[in-house]
Amino acid sequence: MDFNLKISEGEVVALIGPSGCGKSTTLKMVNRLIDPTEGDILIHGESIRKKNTIELRRSLGYVVQSIGLMPHMTIAENVSLLARVQNFPKPLIKKRVDELLDLVQLDVKQVRNLYPKQLSGGQQQRVGLARALMNDPEILLMDEPFGALDPITKSQLHIEMQSLTKKLNKTILMVTHDMDEAFKLASRIVLMSEGRIVQAGTQKEFVESPKNDFVKEFLQSQLGGK
Amino acid sequence: MKKLIFIFILLLSYSSQAATIGIGSKNFTEQAILGEIMAQLIEAKTKHKVKRRFFLGGTQFTFNAIQKGEIDIYPSYTGTAYIAILKNTKILPAEQTYNIVKHEYLKKYNLVWLNEFGFNNTYGFGVIQSDPLFQNVERLSQVRDFSQKLKFGAPHEFLERPDGYDALQKAYNLKFQDFVGLDPGLMYQALVDGQVNMISAFTTDGRIQKFKIKLLKDDLNFFPPYYAAPLIRKDTLEKHPELKPLLNSLQGKISDELMSQMNYSVDLNGQSIEDVAKWFLVDQGLIAGDASQSVLKQKMSSFWEYALSQKEYVFFLTLEHMSLVAVALLLAMIVGIPTGIFLTRFNALSTPIFAVVNTLQTIPSLALLGFLIPLLGIGKIPAIVALFLYALLPLVRNTYTGIKDISPNLIEVSKGIGLTGFQTLKHVELPLALPTIMAGIRISTVIMVGTATLAALIGAGGLGDPIFRGISSVNHQLILLGAIPSALLAILLDRLLLLVQKLVQKG
Repeated sequence: MDFNLKISEGEVVALIGPSGCGKSTTLKMVNRLIDPTEGDILIHGESIRKKNTIELRRSLGYVVQSIGLMPHMTIAENVSLLARVQNFPKPLIKKRVDELLDLVQLDVKQVRNLYPKQLSGGQQQRVGLARALMNDPEILLMDEPFGALDPITKSQLHIEMQSLTKKLNKTILMVTHDMDEAFKLASRIVLMSEGRIVQAGTQKEFVESPKNDFVKEFLQSQLGGK
Repeated sequence: MKKLIFIFILLLSYSSQAATIGIGSKNFTEQAILGEIMAQLIEAKTKHKVKRRFFLGGTQFTFNAIQKGEIDIYPSYTGTAYIAILKNTKILPAEQTYNIVKHEYLKKYNLVWLNEFGFNNTYGFGVIQSDPLFQNVERLSQVRDFSQKLKFGAPHEFLERPDGYDALQKAYNLKFQDFVGLDPGLMYQALVDGQVNMISAFTTDGRIQKFKIKLLKDDLNFFPPYYAAPLIRKDTLEKHPELKPLLNSLQGKISDELMSQMNYSVDLNGQSIEDVAKWFLVDQGLIAGDASQSVLKQKMSSFWEYALSQKEYVFFLTLEHMSLVAVALLLAMIVGIPTGIFLTRFNALSTPIFAVVNTLQTIPSLALLGFLIPLLGIGKIPAIVALFLYALLPLVRNTYTGIKDISPNLIEVSKGIGLTGFQTLKHVELPLALPTIMAGIRISTVIMVGTATLAALIGAGGLGDPIFRGISSVNHQLILLGAIPSALLAILLDRLLLLVQKLVQKG
C-alpha cells in the first residue's frame, strides 16, 4: 500500500509536502471531488463509494482558500447557501448564520449584508469556515485554508483556530504547505511525497526522529533556522 | 336604377363567398401601383378582402410566392415570363409572346394570364442627356465603337437572366468596361453621380424625366416585348370566377405614357401609391369618386409634417417590427440559452455546434431569406426564422463563455460543499454568467431590430416596408420614415435591456 492512513475521532491531521505530492488530491478524494483509481476510503467503517455523493459532501465541512466565496452573494447568503438549497426553515437559517458568524468572531450586524470583496482576506476566510460549519459536520476538510493570507493575519487566525478546534471537537483533515502551520494546528502530521506517506507523527516525533534525509531537508527548508 | 339593382344582384351572386385575395408585386413602384389598382378594384367591386404584399422582391421571389399560393395575383410582364421563367431565347412579336406565355403558364404552373394592361415596359438604355459621349447617339448599336469606355449599371437580376447582360453584349457586339449590379431604385442616382455611364432603364419609368435621361433605342430588337398583365392562380380563379371579367376590365386602359405618368407621381411627386391607384380607377370610370384632384399637383411637405401625417402607419409598423423581434428573441432564448448551458457540460460538442452557429451568422441576411422562401414561403414565419437564426449565436456564445469564464474554484467549492449540478447551475453559474448572457440578449436584439427591416422584402412588413419603398422610388422621406424609428427602437431596446440587467443583478 502506498497510502494507508487512519484518523481517529477528534483528531486534527495535517497533510503536508512539496507541491505536486498529492496532498490536495488525497483531500479531494475524501469528498469525492476526485475518485481514486484503486483503494477505498471508509468513514465510520463504511465505504464512501456506497454513499450518495451529495449526502456525503453535505456531511463533510469543506473549507478552501478565500476565493471560494461566491462574489454575487452577501456574507449571510454565502454562509447559508447549503442550508438554503436544502430548504431549511428561514428563521432557523438566520439564527444559525448569526451563531456561526459569531463563532468565527465576525461582527454579525456589520458583515451579514456585505459582499465578500468588501471584507479583508482574514475576514473572508472566517466566512469560509462558518460556511463549512453550517450543517454541523463531524468532519472538516480544509484545503490550504490560510494559504492566501499575509503572515500576520495568518498567525492571528492560527491562534483562534487552536481554541476553536478545542471548542468544536471536530475531526479535521487539512492540507497545508506550511510546516509551522501544521505544527501549530495539527495533532498529527502526515508528510507526503509523490503520492506516498514518508512519515506520519507528532511534532515531537518529526523534530526528534526524522525518518530520513528527505524529512530532514523538508523540515530545514520549512522552519529555517529554528 | 334598374341597371344598378342588376349590378348589385350580379355582385351579390359573384361574391357569395367573401375571401381574402393576396395580391403581390415585385420590388418597384410600377408593380405596386398595378397591384394597388387591382386591389382597390377588387375591394370596390367584390366582397373580398385584399391582402397586399407589395415590394416582395425580384421575379424569382414573386413567382415562387404565387406558385406556393402565398399570393394569388401579381402583375407580370410577358417578356420576363417568356425569357426568365420559361427559358425561351427566340424573340417573337408581342402577340405571339403573350399567347405562348399564356398557354405554357396554364399547362406548367396552373397560372392564368389575364388581359394586358396596355403598356409595354421594355428596356431602354438610359444615358445622361448632356453627356458628350452620347451626343448624336440615339440607338444602342451606335455605342459599339466606344463601349469599352462605358460602365454599365443594371439590376443584379439582369446579370443572371439569359436575356441579360452577356446576351446583350453579344447581340450588339459590345464590350463594356465594367458591369455594376445595382438596386433598381439606386441605378438612376448612380447614373446622375457618374458612377456608371449607362443603365438599363424601364421605358415607363417616371425618373427618366426627372433625371434628364435620354433613352437609346433597342434598334436590334434584342429585348422581347414586356407587356404587363395580371397573373392569377387557376384555383383562385375557379373559386372566384368574377375576378376574371373584373380584372379584364383593366385591359388596354394603361398606355406607356399613363404608366410613366403614374410612376412619376409616386416616385417623384411624393404621391402615395394608394392615391395614384384611386385617381386612375376614378378617372377611368372604373370606381366611383371625385376625379378632379390631379395626381400631379401635390407638393412635398416637410419631413416632420409628413411623418406626423403618417404616424398611425409608423406606429403600426413599429408594433409589427417589434413583434417580429420579440417572437424571434423569445424563441432564440428558449433554444440558445439551454444550448449554451448544454455545451458547457458536453465540451466535446462545442466545436461542431459553434461551427454551425457561426456559419449561420455569416450567411448574408438577404441570402438567408432567399434560402428560406422555398422552404417556408413568404411572410412573417420565414422572417422570424431568419431573425431567430441570427439571434442564436450571441445567445449561445455568451451563455457558454459566461459560464466557462467563472473561476473553476467556485464550481469546485459548490460541488465540494454538496450542491447538485442543477443547484450549482441555479445558484452559482447562472447568476454569475447573467451579465454576459444579458449582453448576448442585447446584442441579439440590436442585430435583430436592424435585420428585421429586411423582412419587408419577403412580405413580413415592419419598418423595412417604407425603407424599401423609399429606396425604389428615390423618396428619402419614405426611407427616413422607416429608418429613424428602427434606429430609435434599437437604441431604446438596448437601454431598456441594460436597465433590466441592472435590476436583475441587484434583485
